Amino acid sequence: MNELRKQTDVVNAQLARYGVKFGIYKNNEFKEQLFPFDPIPRMIGKDEFEYLNRGLIQRVKALNCFLKDIYSDCAIVKDGVVPEEFIYASSGYLPECKGICPPKGIYSHISGIDLVQSKDKTWYVLEDNLRVPSGASYPMIAREICRRSSPRTFMEQEIADNRDYADLLKAVMDYSNTGGINVILTPGRYNAAFFEHSYLAEKTNSVLAVCNNLVVEDDYLYYIDYNNTKQKVGAIYRRISDEFLDPMTFREDSLIGIPHIMEAYKKGNVAIINALGNGVADDKGIYYFVPKMIQYYLKEEPILNNAPTYLPFYEKDMEYVLEHFDDLVLKDVAEAGGYGVVFGNSMTPEEKEKLITMLKNEPRRFIAQEVIDFIDIEIQEGDEVVPRKADLRAFVLTKEDTVVWKSGLTRFSRNPDSFIVNSSQGGGFKDTWVLCQ
Amino acid sequence: MGIMSVSKVNHLLWLGRYCDRVFSTVRRFYHNYDTMLEADKEAYIKFCNRLAIPNIYKDKDDFVARYPFDMEDDNSIISNLGRAYDNALVMRDEISSETLSYIELALNTMKQTKEHEAPLIDLQPVLDYILAFWGCVDDYVNDQDTRNILKTGKYIERIDLYLRLGVESSEIQLVVRKLVRQILRTRLPYDEDALDDLIIATRKEEVDTNKALECLDKLLAGVM
Repeated sequence: MNELRKQTDVVNAQLARYGVKFGIYKNNEFKEQLFPFDPIPRMIGKDEFEYLNRGLIQRVKALNCFLKDIYSDCAIVKDGVVPEEFIYASSGYLPECKGICPPKGIYSHISGIDLVQSKDKTWYVLEDNLRVPSGASYPMIAREICRRSSPRTFMEQEIADNRDYADLLKAVMDYSNTGGINVILTPGRYNAAFFEHSYLAEKTNSVLAVCNNLVVEDDYLYYIDYNNTKQKVGAIYRRISDEFLDPMTFREDSLIGIPHIMEAYKKGNVAIINALGNGVADDKGIYYFVPKMIQYYLKEEPILNNAPTYLPFYEKDMEYVLEHFDDLVLKDVAEAGGYGVVFGNSMTPEEKEKLITMLKNEPRRFIAQEVIDFIDIEIQEGDEVVPRKADLRAFVLTKEDTVVWKSGLTRFSRNPDSFIVNSSQGGGFKDTWVLCQ
Repeated sequence: MGIMSVSKVNHLLWLGRYCDRVFSTVRRFYHNYDTMLEADKEAYIKFCNRLAIPNIYKDKDDFVARYPFDMEDDNSIISNLGRAYDNALVMRDEISSETLSYIELALNTMKQTKEHEAPLIDLQPVLDYILAFWGCVDDYVNDQDTRNILKTGKYIERIDLYLRLGVESSEIQLVVRKLVRQILRTRLPYDEDALDDLIIATRKEEVDTNKALECLDKLLAGVM
C-alpha cells in the first residue's frame, strides 16, 4: 500500500492525462475540474462483500418489483403498505408511464445504492439512486492507472478485478435491446458527467449520441448516420433526466430530448435504460418504505439496514422529530447532490423555527434521520494520513439476473468537519477494493 | 464505416484541421522566431499578414509571448489547440482515450508553461505530442473511415496554410496528392469539380493561391 501511496502524484498526473474530470457551473460559468483522487483504497473483505452483495441484490429486486407494481396494479398501495400520498405526490412518479411494461420487465437496470458504515461496522443504506446514477467510470479508470503506476501493490494483494464494469454494462444493454444498436445519450459536452458518458461509450462500444442525432419514425427510434442512413436503436442508455427526455410528453421546453421517444417506448420498440418513472422509487420519502417492500414482495427480512428514519407525515414521527430536533438530520425530499440536507444542531434559532414551520405545513416534503456517526477512513493529505468521512456508492446491474459490481465509488469529504462527500461540493474519490479473501 | 452522424464527421474534420494548424504554425513559428533573433526583428508582421492574423502585438517580444501562449488571443496557438481539444473531447468513443490523451497532454503542457525564455524548447513537447497523436490515430483508431476523415482535415489545413504562407509549389503539390488519396477513401460527399480545380491550380510552378483557397472552401462544404 505504501508503494501505491508513493505514486499519488503519478496517478493524479495520469488521471489528468486521460481527462478524468467533472464539470460544475459556478456563477453561470461552466468549469471542468479534475476529480481529486486519493490512492488509499477503501477495502472490503470477502465476507463483508458477500453480505453487502446479498443485501444489495435483495434491495434492488424489491425496488424493481415496486416499480413494476406502481405502474401496473398498485397492490402495495391497495394493501396499505405505502400510503398513496407518497406515490402520487412524488415528483418522480410519472402518470404517463402507467401501464407501460419496459422490455424484459426491468425498470432499474443500473442502480446506485449509497451506503455508509457506522463506527460499530454496521452498514446503512443512505439513498437509492435508480434514475441515472453516475460514478462507475471513476474507480474503473483509477484502477487501470493504479495498476500501471504501482504494479507491485497488485502483485501482493488479491483484489477482485473491477475492470469488467463495461462488460457488465454492455451485457445489460444487450439483454434489454429490442433489436438495433446500443446508444448512450448525453446532454452534451457541458454536462457535469460528460467524461463518464464518453468513456462508457468507448468501453462498451456503444454510439455516443446527442439528441439531434436521433429521431423517432413510425414508433421506432433511429440514429441518423452522416449519409442520412437510419440505424435502428434497440437500447438507449440515456444520461438525461426523465422530464427532459421527450418534449412531446414531458417538458416541452426541453432542447436535449427526443420528440416522440415515449411512443417508441410504449410500443416496446426500444429499451430505455433506466426506465422512465423510476424517480418514484428513489424518492427520499419512499426510502422509508424499502424494508417494507422487501417484506411485501420478496417475503424476506431486509438484510441491509436503512438509517433510522422518521416521516413527519406520520403524527407519531412528527412528535419525535420535534422533540429530538437537534439530534437529527433533516432532508428535503426534492433536493439531491448533498443539497437540502441540514443538521438540527447546526441551525440558528431563527432557521430552526422557519424549518419547523415548513415541516408542519408540508410534512410530506421532509424526512428526518438519526445522525449516523459513520467511520472515518484514511486519506492522504500531503505527506500525512488523515481521517475523513466517506460513503460508498455500490453499483447493482440487472439483466436476467442481478449482480453487484465488485467495486464501487468511494467518495470522501476533504473538509474535516463535513459529512458531505459530493464531488459538486468539493469531495474526492477513492477506489474500492473487494478483497478475494 | 462506423456509425457516425454528420456532427461527428464535422468534429473529426476540424480535429484534424486544428491539430495541423497547431503543428504547422509551431513549425513555421520556429523558423520565424529564429529569423527574428538577429536578422529581421519585424518578421512577425509578415507572418501575421500572410496568415491574415490581426497584428495586435506591440513588438517582437510581445508576439513571442502572446502568439503561442495567450489564451485570450483567438488566433494564438494555444487557442487553436483548445479548439482541437474541444473537437477531440466529444470524439473519445471514436478515437479512443489513448489518442485523446495526447491532445490533453499538449494542452496541459502549454497551459503550464509560465516563462517564455526559450519558447522553442517550451513548444517542443507540443510537437511531440501531436506527432504521437497521429501515431495513435494509426494504431488505436480501428475504424478506417475515422482515420481517413481525420487525415483529410489535416491535409486540407496544411494546404490552406502552405498557400497562405507562400510555401514552394512542390511542397504544396505533395500535400495535395496526399489529400486526394485520403479524400477518395473517406466516402464523404465532396465536390469533385473543386478537387479537380485544386489540382490544376496547384499543379503549376506559380500556384494560383486564390483559386486554390476557393477550391478548398468548396471541397467539403456539405459536411464542414
